[in-house]
Amino acid sequence: MNGLERIHRALKRQEPDRVPHFEFLVDKKVREAIKPGISNEDFHVLMDADGIGLPDKNTAWRYELVNEGERLYRDQWGALVKFSTEAGGIPQEPAIKSEGDFERYVMPDPDEDWRYDKLREAVKRFKGERAIICGATDIFDIVKESFLGDVTMFMDMIRNPELVKQISQRVLDYQLRYIKNCLEVGADFFFINGDYATTNGPMVSPKMAAEFLMPYLKAIVEFVHQNGALLIKHSDGLLWPLFDQIVDTGVDGIHPIDPEAGMDMGEAKAKYGHRICLLGNIDCGPLLTWGTPDEVRQATKECIRKGGKGGGLICMSSNSIHSGVKPENYLAMVETIHKYGTYPLEDHFDNLVIPGSGVWS
Amino acid sequence: MFDLEKLKDSLISGDIEQTEALTEAALEAGVAAKEILDKGLIPGLDEVGRRFQEGEYFFPELLVSGEAMKKALARLKPALTKAGGATMGKYAIGTVRGDIHDIGKNIVIMMLEGNGWEVTDLGIDVPTETFLKAVREGDYHILGMSALLTTTIPHLAETIEALKAEGLRDKIKVMVGGVSVTPAYAEQIGADAYGKDAVDAVIEAKRLIGKS
Repeated sequence: MNGLERIHRALKRQEPDRVPHFEFLVDKKVREAIKPGISNEDFHVLMDADGIGLPDKNTAWRYELVNEGERLYRDQWGALVKFSTEAGGIPQEPAIKSEGDFERYVMPDPDEDWRYDKLREAVKRFKGERAIICGATDIFDIVKESFLGDVTMFMDMIRNPELVKQISQRVLDYQLRYIKNCLEVGADFFFINGDYATTNGPMVSPKMAAEFLMPYLKAIVEFVHQNGALLIKHSDGLLWPLFDQIVDTGVDGIHPIDPEAGMDMGEAKAKYGHRICLLGNIDCGPLLTWGTPDEVRQATKECIRKGGKGGGLICMSSNSIHSGVKPENYLAMVETIHKYGTYPLEDHFDNLVIPGSGVWS
Repeated sequence: MFDLEKLKDSLISGDIEQTEALTEAALEAGVAAKEILDKGLIPGLDEVGRRFQEGEYFFPELLVSGEAMKKALARLKPALTKAGGATMGKYAIGTVRGDIHDIGKNIVIMMLEGNGWEVTDLGIDVPTETFLKAVREGDYHILGMSALLTTTIPHLAETIEALKAEGLRDKIKVMVGGVSVTPAYAEQIGADAYGKDAVDAVIEAKRLIGKS
């Protein structure tokens, strides 16, 4: 069984030969520490990752340099973003500062051919062997980060809901076109990044989530399914109050069952394991950064024990292998998946959590 | 007799225009600015904070009430300045070097301002030297630093150490926050307080200057 089949089976909640794994992002520092000079693609092969992730922000969005010294760019939506010393762009000034700005707004063109260059390279090298997973940033996230800014967006959800919906609809149109193009080039799966929650709980109430978040997520899910592909929704944070709503949109998987927010893989498996695939759960916060390889092995085994029964588990970090992750910890995670993730899991564990078995205590 | 309960309710419901209008009306009716604050606005904002921390309110509700408070405070400011007590104090805030999101920081700023703090936003990706300069040259009561990534957490400790080395540590109270920061870590690196969320940050800031 190859990586593509493994991930496909896991997302369909069928048992593969082994619990699959992949990472959407492995920082260069970590890659270099494990094998100096290795390319990103070669690194995923070296780790025998079952999927190759292509974050849209890094591969398919246009940025124009505004000020080199300050690392200031204008993103393709018109927002000013600053690239920090270690991570991606941080919004500094949103694209839309008044309703008039939006009336005059011209959307970027999803059909520009260069956007799909990285995807084409991945397709050429990996198609049919490893899952090709395209990032498609959540509508809520794009509107919040690039169009309105977080504080304004949240206030407009109460004060000017129509504007939020109009912008969301336009961004949705773009994203559906982008997804269609990705499918034509050869994408297998989609990964909808963009958080709905913080460590303390959802950013917006379940009622507002139903009004402002889920309709757009659902539209993407339906479009992806109509085109025969599958989709993973990512959101950090304490997601339980919104979990039913997200599952009800029809997503095939949810990442990362955030351990830093106290979300438990066993609870997710017992309650939702019969409906969706669960991904992630290896804490890239304190555990992968400051923990020992032994602690990582233990956590990885627990993740497999709790989430692996019957398929429906992709074991990976809870966000990314960022620059602070100890290389030996990442390796310990991958080795443990390869060793203890082979089916039947009963060979390794005697108290597996049963998907859909009910309330977790 | 002016009904300050109505003002309180208006703030809790996040009605910015009404909160502003009622604050103005209270002033016109001869209610002392401090009384408007202490019996109307502050109890209102405390209730908003409680609802946020108990999961009844979320960012949108918290922020519109914060904005309503800010607008009301602007109306009260001339009278409060006369009475001597326009602000809680001065607060400098920044996300430490190399860090990523600043969603938390924006919301903390909004809530601090809503609670009468004069806030200077030092921005994101702030190098230690910028924090030192702000403390050295400014007259801030509190320095707030956040770190959301485990990679940047060590910079919180570095900045506190640098403040000590420069003889500036006693000049200012230091608060830290952010996803991967824990109360234990805050204590370990010698911060004066830890804020779990935007509401907690406001409570802790008040406590630090002895106004809670």
